[in-house]
Amino acid sequence: MTVTVSPVFLFNTQTGQPEAAELLDAITDKQLADWEGEWIPELFKAIQKLHRAGVDRVHWPQSRHWNWRAKTDALQGMLAYPGFSIVADGMTQGMMLIDTATKRCRLDVQKGKDLAYVEYVENAPWNRPELAQPPLYRGIGSVLIRAAIALSESEEMKGRIGLHSLPQANNFYANTCGMSDLGPDASYHDLRYFEMTPEQAETFIEKGQRS
Amino acid sequence: MKVEVTKEWCLAMANLEGDAEIGAGTYAFDPVFNGESLHEESAEEPTIAFSRFVRLMRRDRGLTLEQLAEDADVEIGELIEIEDDMRHRPEPRTVYQLARLFDVPGPKLMQIAGLTASNDNRLAEEAVKFAARAESVAALTAEERAALQAFVMVLSKEDLEPS
Amino acid sequence: MMPSKKTMTLNLTDAEMQALEALSERKDVSKTAVLRQALRLYQLVEARAERGDKLFFEDEKTKDKAEVMML
Repeated sequence: MTVTVSPVFLFNTQTGQPEAAELLDAITDKQLADWEGEWIPELFKAIQKLHRAGVDRVHWPQSRHWNWRAKTDALQGMLAYPGFSIVADGMTQGMMLIDTATKRCRLDVQKGKDLAYVEYVENAPWNRPELAQPPLYRGIGSVLIRAAIALSESEEMKGRIGLHSLPQANNFYANTCGMSDLGPDASYHDLRYFEMTPEQAETFIEKGQRS
Repeated sequence: MKVEVTKEWCLAMANLEGDAEIGAGTYAFDPVFNGESLHEESAEEPTIAFSRFVRLMRRDRGLTLEQLAEDADVEIGELIEIEDDMRHRPEPRTVYQLARLFDVPGPKLMQIAGLTASNDNRLAEEAVKFAARAESVAALTAEERAALQAFVMVLSKEDLEPS
Repeated sequence: MMPSKKTMTLNLTDAEMQALEALSERKDVSKTAVLRQALRLYQLVEARAERGDKLFFEDEKTKDKAEVMML
């Protein structure tokens, strides 16, 4: 597989400095190895800590058949499912999987049009405020959403993207990304479905240019 | 595809994003490890099975502790404790690394290692049986190999019990 | 944005060209985009069918399922 690397930057809260990172237009074996070898054990430890502190995790649905490696194996070479990942300091910091073929817009103003649907996006456990204090790198979400928009544009979908946000991420998608909130989706674990119009995509990009 | 984005943009957005959760899609759900509670005390038998399992898998591959530590990318000190001290609580990362190397499901090995609980009684029973059959420290006998293979199959089965 | 692209010449019948143009207009994208989208979907469908999965249409009202591809 040919992987294209785009230089990006993250903010390292430990050093208090910007740090150069790489945006890859793929999820490679390295990402899977990092996920199995580093993300999972860290996730486990962090969740264990929360559990001991009495934090209620019971409302998370069981993910018994959750198997990221099997999912990515099944999608190998599929044009319809491009992946992206961010690597910094030799470690995978974020991953994203997009569906460019099977989803259509739900927002009235663009109903039925093609969009780049973000099937999955996740930050490494040590970058998540819920699990790490303080989170190590900032800016991964923005770079990945920017990549999703870029992909959408390259497929002539004009920057339209959509996703089902995890509850704690609703604020990021509603406010930082400025997406339209179509409310909880009963057919998808009641996760809120967010969609971005071409205008919202432009606003999102301009946000980073103006600040 | 190439994504053109400036350093300034990244940093400005990082500032706006701040410390935010960004997860989306069901694959971003935190895995509830085997859907059961993570607990402090563990029965001793499972850990004995873990200790013997690691030792037998290593010997079956003809590896020294050093070689196993290198292959699995884990601390050799921890491996020594795992094999010699039945009461040792291994690091989750070590268990997952060993699971990967031995090609058995991580969550199941976590149970055997006594790090997660489950009401999968049959797995616990099989672990005890395996530990009993795999006692000797000498060269892997035909019986030990058979016991080892049987236990690997038990670990690799999807679910021993409906739950 | 895509780094290297290969060019291909397609020979289409009048009917095929008409269908392509109609789709392009409906979806408000170029003809190339329509074909690339079609390829993505086709590859996906073929991969699933090869695994033994079935492709169905479901009637919105009656919920009747009709199998699309027979192997």
